Amino acid sequence: MSTSFLHSFQSEWLKTRRSLAAWLVIIGGFFLPFIMLVGRTVYHEKTSAESTSPLFWENLAGQCWQFMALFLLPMGVILATSLITQIEFRNNAWKQVHTTPQHFYTLFWSKLMVIMVMVVQFFILFNIGIYLAGAVPALLLGTVDYPSQPFPFMYMLKTSGRFMLDILPVVGLQYLISLQFKNFFVPLGVGIAMLMLSLVMVEWKYGYIVPYTYSPYNFFELRGSAMSGSKDVNIHWLALSYFAFFTVLSFVLYISKKEKG
Amino acid sequence: MHTIEAIGLTHHFSKEIPVLENIEMRVREGSIYGFLGPNGAGKTTTLRLMLGLLRKQGGEISIFGKPFEKHRTELLSNIGSLIESPTVYGHLTATENLTVWQKAYRCPKNRIPEALRLVGLHGTGIKKAHQFSLGMKQRLGIAAALLHQPSLLVLDEPTNGLDPGGIIEIREMLRNLNREEGVTILISSHLLPEIEKLATDVGIIHRGKMLFQGSLASLLLRQHQASRIAIETSDNAAALQLLAGNGLDPRIEAGCINLAAAEKPAIADINRKLVQHGLDVYRIATVEDDLETIFMNLTNQ
Ligand SMILES: Nc1ncnc2c1ncn2[C@@H]1O[C@H](COP(=O)(O)OP(=O)(O)O)[C@@H](O)[C@H]1O
Ligand SMILES: [Mg+2]
Repeated sequence: MSTSFLHSFQSEWLKTRRSLAAWLVIIGGFFLPFIMLVGRTVYHEKTSAESTSPLFWENLAGQCWQFMALFLLPMGVILATSLITQIEFRNNAWKQVHTTPQHFYTLFWSKLMVIMVMVVQFFILFNIGIYLAGAVPALLLGTVDYPSQPFPFMYMLKTSGRFMLDILPVVGLQYLISLQFKNFFVPLGVGIAMLMLSLVMVEWKYGYIVPYTYSPYNFFELRGSAMSGSKDVNIHWLALSYFAFFTVLSFVLYISKKEKG
Repeated sequence: MHTIEAIGLTHHFSKEIPVLENIEMRVREGSIYGFLGPNGAGKTTTLRLMLGLLRKQGGEISIFGKPFEKHRTELLSNIGSLIESPTVYGHLTATENLTVWQKAYRCPKNRIPEALRLVGLHGTGIKKAHQFSLGMKQRLGIAAALLHQPSLLVLDEPTNGLDPGGIIEIREMLRNLNREEGVTILISSHLLPEIEKLATDVGIIHRGKMLFQGSLASLLLRQHQASRIAIETSDNAAALQLLAGNGLDPRIEAGCINLAAAEKPAIADINRKLVQHGLDVYRIATVEDDLETIFMNLTNQ
């Protein structure tokens, strides 16, 4: 990694400070675990019975991932990617960015890297949230025991890793569109339309061709009830391929833009 | 040497009429080049082309003697710019805004407070830039252009939104940068008085064409050559006839006789003739078109 990339990344990262996207990562990461925490504290009798389950963490994580995988994760990534990229359009800043002595490719990759780091950040917060949702009721309520099953780090890491891969096509396409259109509603509209489409298509035999379906598919696989549209293919490889395709296309379109600010 | 040399710049946004036609621009090293033209003349488009913000369609641009496209990042590291409206990240403070650029230019961190002091924005503290007034945003934009101590500043109507005091302050600052640090400045404006007080060289653009390019002194000379003599006598009609009979081309304008400018002996001769013919001469004066008129005449052709 060259020094100029590092400086460029720092410059880009600074722009996310106090931004809506930065808040979204924090709120998005903790939202579901917090709801789970409240639920588990209120229904403490049920919670107390669960504490001894040998699959305590898997069950809790499964509940958290359900809403996350089907809607919140894609939606959050759509919003965060578009918001981060659109910081330049919104502040009329492309012209200033493009007159700094940075290569266009450096800018392209450091911006994408900022988005990636934010997605990773989100996954870390979400996992911490799941842990807190499992552990905190025992601290708050004397009647609930700390879960007897040790926290399954590898399982959590693997699950998050798969979802991370499966959400990459969303990052790729949203990044592409947000770099091209001045109007925030374009990436947002395309993102929501693709998300709706993917939710309709998951039941279809060939649903795997829709690049936003992999996070839902992965969730059903996780639950042990893989959908027909994902049975015969490796969705993670597909996700990675879509991401590579979108990113290369996005790069070419960005580099060859006639008006750079 | 020329800091900027643009030859034959031509540009159109759509198929129709070109926005720029064969623009020639030569900015001398160490000069303050005033780029003048009414709204929509093509100033911003020219400057965007020079900084690589628009894909060049025709012509050549070299900066510091090197073709721009081949040496883009190298050249940009020595150019500070403010195009059209200042870039301000509203959710960041003034210092954070400049830190974004400090990282991008890889210049020393202590330039940030220095640049803020230069434009009078020190002490805005934790205030977010979206709460800044238009003038403060403009100052922040100028600070960003100065931050990395470039040897060329490209400023597109930089005094927009500044109050009269602010305009003078920024003008003084630019003059100092030019004199003390030898910074070459290309500054555009649609207001002549602003340029007149600062520039050493002037380029006038109108409807995408360069109408004039040269030193401010040569523009002033042109103005001098376009000046006229006004004469007021006790009987202007008789005087008119007399002067016309002497091979001059006098006209009556606003109660005065108006003649093309002449050398001193010729003026004395005119006066003598008038007096010899029994006319009382009340006033002989040179009337100089101000630059504003020259500018208007050039751009109204
Ligand atoms: N992005 C654009 N697309 C189409 N036309 C443009 C664009 N930018 C500028 N123009 C046109 O080009 C002409 C010159 O504009 P500009 O360079 O901004 O003038 P100035 O800066 O001198 O006021 C104007 O007629 C303007 O409408
Ligand atoms: Mg303009």
